[in-house]
Amino acid sequence: MNCKELVYLLGEYLDGSMEEHLRKDLDGHIAMCDSCTNFLNTYDTTRIICRQVQLSEIPEEFRERLRTFVVAKAKEHHQGIEKYRRMAAEEQRRQVEELLRAFREGRLSSSLSLLFDTHRDRCETCGEFLRAQNGGAVPETIPRDIEEHLAEFLEAIPAGEEPFRT
Amino acid sequence: MAESKQGKRMPAERLLDDDVLLEELRKGSPEAVEALFDRFHGKIYGLAMSILKNESDAEEATQDVFLTVFQKAHTFKGNSALYSWIYRICVNACLMRLRGKRRQETVSIEEFMPVFTEDGMHTSPVEDWSKEVERKMLDKELGRVIKKFTDELSEKYRVVFVLSDVEGMSNEETAQILGLTVPAVKSRLHRARLFLREQLSRYLQEGKTA
Repeated sequence: MNCKELVYLLGEYLDGSMEEHLRKDLDGHIAMCDSCTNFLNTYDTTRIICRQVQLSEIPEEFRERLRTFVVAKAKEHHQGIEKYRRMAAEEQRRQVEELLRAFREGRLSSSLSLLFDTHRDRCETCGEFLRAQNGGAVPETIPRDIEEHLAEFLEAIPAGEEPFRT
Repeated sequence: MAESKQGKRMPAERLLDDDVLLEELRKGSPEAVEALFDRFHGKIYGLAMSILKNESDAEEATQDVFLTVFQKAHTFKGNSALYSWIYRICVNACLMRLRGKRRQETVSIEEFMPVFTEDGMHTSPVEDWSKEVERKMLDKELGRVIKKFTDELSEKYRVVFVLSDVEGMSNEETAQILGLTVPAVKSRLHRARLFLREQLSRYLQEGKTA
């Protein structure tokens, strides 16, 4: 071990990640080399004292300007998302209503028709509601949980297949 | 206690939990926006200043960071701590700003690396000024000088130094934030400290001979 190697390895020596046999070598060198003892002390002090460096403080005027900007942008961003969600929800409702109308009128494509019939017979949430539709009852509103179930059929339509028979 | 839109009261301390804070941000809670701002704006600006070294650039970078956080809040998966995710956004925002700009004047780190003889010994005796500096620990002038020296580091070393030694992050966290390997972080940090040690050494020496 010489001074150059010691300086190269100081970081690991101080953070405790050094292997034991290397540490012993370094300890041995430090014990007999004044320059390296001094280098170790000053390197360690540098490390400690530099932790006192303060990050630049934000000027008060900018802090308030930034706060106003951030609050406004967050609101804007959220309103954009809400608008998109509302539009997506309205579109989903419209599509489900369209599906139900076609179901009542027997205009669903063969695969959708099969899905609806199976769902009507097996789903506890939707069964009664769908049987009423078979009887021609037009619902005033579609309950939210039923809408969610039926909306999944929109995803299940095979690619290229038209959902409705003309 | 803060009042949410639904009229339910949201204890402010709940927003100290990263998961709750993010969930509330995704819902658009104004209290969560305020909590995020209060918790991070100072750190983000300080980090941006230490990379960009210019107030108006740091101001704009800080704005960019908050915008990115709002846009990407839903993509945060919690694989890392929230602060380390935000610091990463900050570092990226600053590096984007530095890109294309004329490189800032920095001192060559090589001129401040220790010098050795051919057989690996110090070329001249090393003095121990550690006690002297410890006595001056609270000295404002010393603080100012150290800040000046850290500003002279090129951004490659400065960012690692600020995250690790000033912000006290582990090497692993710093590596994750900067997209570096842990050995690369250790190596840059070591060179930054060697540079600062030598700068301090020369400064104290000049003080004695002046």
